[in-house]
Amino acid sequence: MSRVAFMLREALVNLRRNILVVTGAVLAVFISLGLAFSALAVNELVRINTIAWQQGVHLIVWLNDAGRDGVPADAHENLLNEVLTWEEVANAYYVDKTAAYEEFLDLFGDNPEMVEALQNPSALPTSIRIELADIELYQQVEFRLQQYPQLIQRISSAAQEIEQISAVSRVLNLLGIGLSIVLGVSAMILIANTIRLAIYARRDEVSIMKLVGASNWFIRVPFLLEGLIEGLVGAALAVFAVWVAGRNLAGAAEGIQLVNLQVPNAFFLRWGVVFLLFGAAAGVLGSLLGLSRYLREADGGGRPAGVRRALEPV
Amino acid sequence: MIRLEDVTKVYEGGTVAVRDVSLDIPKGEFVFLVGPSGSGKSTLIRLMLREEAVTRGTIYVAGKDITALPAWKVPYLRRSIGTVFQDFKLLPNKTVFENVAFALEVLGRPRSVIGPQVEQVLELVGLADKAERYPRQLSGGEQQRVSIARAFVNRPPIMLCDEPTGNLDPATSVGIMKLLDRINRTGTTIVMATHDHAIVDAMQRRVVQLSNGVVIRDEVAGRYETVGEQ
Ligand SMILES: Nc1ncnc2c1ncn2[C@@H]1O[C@H](COP(=O)(O)OP(=O)(O)OP(=O)(O)O)[C@@H](O)[C@H]1O
Ligand SMILES: [Mg+2]
Repeated sequence: MSRVAFMLREALVNLRRNILVVTGAVLAVFISLGLAFSALAVNELVRINTIAWQQGVHLIVWLNDAGRDGVPADAHENLLNEVLTWEEVANAYYVDKTAAYEEFLDLFGDNPEMVEALQNPSALPTSIRIELADIELYQQVEFRLQQYPQLIQRISSAAQEIEQISAVSRVLNLLGIGLSIVLGVSAMILIANTIRLAIYARRDEVSIMKLVGASNWFIRVPFLLEGLIEGLVGAALAVFAVWVAGRNLAGAAEGIQLVNLQVPNAFFLRWGVVFLLFGAAAGVLGSLLGLSRYLREADGGGRPAGVRRALEPV
Repeated sequence: MIRLEDVTKVYEGGTVAVRDVSLDIPKGEFVFLVGPSGSGKSTLIRLMLREEAVTRGTIYVAGKDITALPAWKVPYLRRSIGTVFQDFKLLPNKTVFENVAFALEVLGRPRSVIGPQVEQVLELVGLADKAERYPRQLSGGEQQRVSIARAFVNRPPIMLCDEPTGNLDPATSVGIMKLLDRINRTGTTIVMATHDHAIVDAMQRRVVQLSNGVVIRDEVAGRYETVGEQ
């Protein structure tokens, strides 16, 4: 128990002594992990929203009325059956004029002007709603549908937007991850530097510790703890900052119904822990880096066989 | 207690600091290492502490070959050796008590053991009443007593002292030597490198004289200089 207290006390003294460099290292961890964590959160938002779209319909095929303008009476049914055989299509269903009017009322029922403007419910077009097997297949399906020009009025698709969002988020992700790796490495180097400084500041203590026979780990652990604390604090700040930012974003976007900007708390909880571990790992690796030269010297001159042999003839 | 067999130390750069030294130091002995500056006294002490590695030869401490000791076991060797240096090596921001306690803290000793043990050793070196002072508030002789207290607080079977009186006036040196003599009488083996003629002559202990890294004299109850030498 007194061992642990001793090491912790030493680590805290080190942190206080080099407060400026320590702050730098913590900030570097904070920015690096903050970037990575925001990239991940944005990713999660994109995923949530794509799923929301994907559960719905990817393509809406607005149809010309059957039995008029040279459209055969059974054309709608035939097209639906045809579409259902395509392997790009996961599911498809028909929305007739009654269903279309119900949908219209669902959407605009509380808007009397709209309801009034639609004098004739039968003016609403019938449609086929298509769910794709894979969102990336939307162009192929659209192309195949274009083979029925006189039957189809118009094709609406959310697929393109979804793909664009995905592409943008992929680029952002790559940038975010790339930056956070670079910053992560610099964070570790900064931590290594704080450790070197701490060792330098305590060189007298360390040399006395060695002299009286403190075990190497007893000497090293305070410095490892120091790095660990730096990494953990940086990571905690990053997780907290992204969480706060996420909540504000969701609050600001509350009016917009189109997209969901609410990153679930479960996500923060799960990945928050992972990022704390990242921070801890960065801290420990950084301090090992800082200790590395010292570790080599720590044994008080080993006896490397090669050197010995080289000196033998003297 | 300590045995050296044909020990040679060549520093990087080619200086041969110690050449084919063989010594046998039984338990409880008091040995002076004498010789001109650069003759290899400090090097011998560093080799026994494994602060430096031998180039050739073997050193046994308490029956163990310390030249073959893996690095992680070196701290355990050092726990059985107390060390005292010319420059005291005290921590200026710690009190006398804390300086001595530090040696036990870093070995992970519980607080309940540290307190009484430190008080006891401060009593032994005659500094019980100055436990709360800082090193800068002490005379050189007193600082060296603190350093001896720190070296001895863990009751090591061996003490290695490198010119412990080098910075002290003759009267103060006598006090330090009395202290070391007392510690030696408890059965502690002491090896002390020194330039101090008066002390060596007065103590009448074993003298090992080095010259250019070679043992040129090894006398029981010797003097600093052989009769006839200038
Ligand atoms: N780390 C080192 N690297 C290279 N040469 C060294 C090193 N330490 C000591 N030497 C050389 O080894 C020789 C012996 O030095 P050592 O310090 O053992 O002498 P000493 O007898 O203790 O001298 P003094 O009485 O002045 O303390 C000297 O020639 C010295 O220059
Ligand atoms: Mg010397």
